[in-house]
Amino acid sequence: MNVTVTRRSFLQIIAGTGASLVLGSFSSVACAGEPKKLAFVPNAFLKIDSDGSITVSITRSDMGQGVRTTFAMLVAEELDADWTKVNVANAPGDSALYGGQGTGGSSSTRSMNKKLRTIGASARLMLIGAAAKKWNVEASTCKTENGKVLSADGKSLTYGELAEAAQAIAVPDAVTLKESSSFKVIGKATKRVDNHDVVTGKAMFAYDVSVEGMLFAVCLRPPAFAATQTAIDDKETRAVPGVIDVIPIPSGIAVIAKNTWAALKGREKLKVTWEGGKTDVTTRMLRADMKQAAIAHKELPVGGKVIEANFELPYLAHAAMESLNALADVREDSAEVWTGSQSPDSAQNSISRVLGLPKEKVTVHNMLLGGGFGRKFTNEWVMEAVNLSKIVKKPIKLLWTRECDMQNDLYRPMSEHAIKASVDDAGNPTGWSHQYIQAPGRGNGEYGSNTYLPYEIPGAAMRGAGVSSPVPTGAWRSVEHGHLIVVNECFIDELAHAAGQDPLAFRLKLIKSPRLKKVVESAAKHAGWGTAMPAGSGRGIACFDGYGSCIAHVVEATVADGEVKITRMVAVVDAGTTINPLGVEAQIQGGFMDGLSTALKAAITIRAGGTAEDNFDRYHWARMSDAPKMEIFIEDSGGAFGGMGEVSYPSAPAAIANAVFAATGKRVRQFPIKVEDLV
Amino acid sequence: MPTFKINVNGKVHSVEGEGDMPLLWALRDLLHLTGTKYGCGVGICGACTVLAEGYAKRSCQMTLAEVGEDKIVTIEGLSKNGDHPLQKAWVEHDVPQCGYCQTGQIMRAASLLIQTPKPTDDEIKEAMDSNLCRCGTYVRIFEAVKTAVKESK
Repeated sequence: MNVTVTRRSFLQIIAGTGASLVLGSFSSVACAGEPKKLAFVPNAFLKIDSDGSITVSITRSDMGQGVRTTFAMLVAEELDADWTKVNVANAPGDSALYGGQGTGGSSSTRSMNKKLRTIGASARLMLIGAAAKKWNVEASTCKTENGKVLSADGKSLTYGELAEAAQAIAVPDAVTLKESSSFKVIGKATKRVDNHDVVTGKAMFAYDVSVEGMLFAVCLRPPAFAATQTAIDDKETRAVPGVIDVIPIPSGIAVIAKNTWAALKGREKLKVTWEGGKTDVTTRMLRADMKQAAIAHKELPVGGKVIEANFELPYLAHAAMESLNALADVREDSAEVWTGSQSPDSAQNSISRVLGLPKEKVTVHNMLLGGGFGRKFTNEWVMEAVNLSKIVKKPIKLLWTRECDMQNDLYRPMSEHAIKASVDDAGNPTGWSHQYIQAPGRGNGEYGSNTYLPYEIPGAAMRGAGVSSPVPTGAWRSVEHGHLIVVNECFIDELAHAAGQDPLAFRLKLIKSPRLKKVVESAAKHAGWGTAMPAGSGRGIACFDGYGSCIAHVVEATVADGEVKITRMVAVVDAGTTINPLGVEAQIQGGFMDGLSTALKAAITIRAGGTAEDNFDRYHWARMSDAPKMEIFIEDSGGAFGGMGEVSYPSAPAAIANAVFAATGKRVRQFPIKVEDLV
Repeated sequence: MPTFKINVNGKVHSVEGEGDMPLLWALRDLLHLTGTKYGCGVGICGACTVLAEGYAKRSCQMTLAEVGEDKIVTIEGLSKNGDHPLQKAWVEHDVPQCGYCQTGQIMRAASLLIQTPKPTDDEIKEAMDSNLCRCGTYVRIFEAVKTAVKESK
């Protein structure tokens, strides 16, 4: 089906751009200026140069999910561009020009695809218009192919040759987007646009940026959340060669130095007395509070069989490979910042507000993000760098060391789940009651009465509650689904067992969505569900329908020699319409490794009101030898482009837990799984 | 401040810094070779891996004073045009997600290929286990190393 999109106010030719065709946001024409170092034209969505090179502005953050590649593909598809001429440039943070740039919830493609395709389609019509004018023919007799406009009688002009003339063509009021049957770029396995830069070390993350006269900063932060410094002895710090200043800030004490090492050495020498914080708080105490907070279950029907269990999920750190950092250059009348943020537009707003500068005087260059996973929304590290640069009157490059990053995270909340369900004598579910208790501090809150169940279970109910906690929390890959789907998918397995039914057959009987049912059936088939496994090994299944996509995981696990080993993973995904199969596959591989890590290894513990783990020696994450054989099948049902970054996670830990049950007969109700509980 | 002469990517550089400065920060802050990344600072994650005399070293755990005459190779010096078999294989297998750890991964693999030109699957995994990837690109890293081994023959 053709989709016709009427041009909204966002699109217009940007004046004064020489020989290039530049389509940009309508509201920004006034501030079109010289290209900035890291973004080709600050307010442009698409630029076609006279040499034929095409630059697509990427208005969402790429933290590894590949949005720089997918966005370029969406534009290139409708533009009929020559893919080899397509470049990308990250847009700076500016919601007035680009709309909201918050990157999370697997929303980038879902919210931006129509806009990006419209931009490509509009530019294509303008290039045709320019060619038709030159050839003095009707535009409708021309077509486009691989970066060229072709006439009916065999003439051709490249987009580069037409770029200047196309500026004189009006932006079309409406464009018709391609039918999926004629896609050439969308759906084609496309390698990431950044690969060459990454493998040569040229890819730029924020801490790789240098500006004239910059100084380096690291902070010492309180050992307990919300503790503050009462006395600072910085004499030895100031004696460290290269240390320039010591500056107390609300979140700790900053050491300013000529290089990172001098700053780190200076920080070592600080002697600080801390006060406040809830230093009696421990994970154990919070867990006990959560168990107390459990409210009454919804009453289940009388008769049949009732099962009941408690699940415990831990706090998790995001621990992106690139810890938080920012470079800020605050001047009297302007500010320029380089960082990797999941909301660079919010950073611009905050800086403008705090410094009292108009927004157009605040430039936020959003670099590549060395991982994000939900951590890089809040920009508090950016504001620290801005604050320090304002005080020092020099550009400041602030690094949150790994310890700062891990101990001052906005953690995936710890949760407690009391869950109860019933089946009748025929093995049909008759009730389900799930109590979801979190230690939120701040952040996620409650999720109302949505049961997050894809299954037909009469009277299913969920109740949420929270206990107070000083531990700061936030979004973590797949947000609440990382709790609720994991627990639901484990417990539905338990219910199948109670009903004396195969967990696959039980699910298939109860799944409401035909899309989800199809991927579950297919994953089971690909995995050889029902075939015998050796003793000590087992197969588990779990599924998830969310963010516009459906996925099913089948996992094979072996428990032996005091170790849980995941030996095979089969995943079937229906992303609606896949834009880049290589990207989807990568997300499923990565999401599964997160599933494996959180099922078997990772937890944050709270001790004396702060985080016990400070580095990867105690916060364990999967390594290569943990990775199983992965078989991934994309089986799209067509229609809207679905999300993928979050989709790949929630059913993974559940499928692992269910496989561990199949291997050992022991149910997993605490994450991460402790192998000593399985013997 | 003392001066050290260090051989990086085939060129001798004079760097002014304290002798206890880890090579990582000398490379990044003093020589502006930013392809070598900070990940953990304590030698666990491998993001800062470089070659010293052909062996993978965590540059956060090697001080400027310890470098001595060792020939250091960073990702910037692995090949002239980014066409080392490992770099080509990384692109071919579309390995990177966020990309942050990949330069360290490639340098670890480069050391493996020098020490063990025909590694078994287990030898690849054992060597690469020293490097953490938070995006979970391990399956593709493994395949890329295997491809590079074939191409290096």
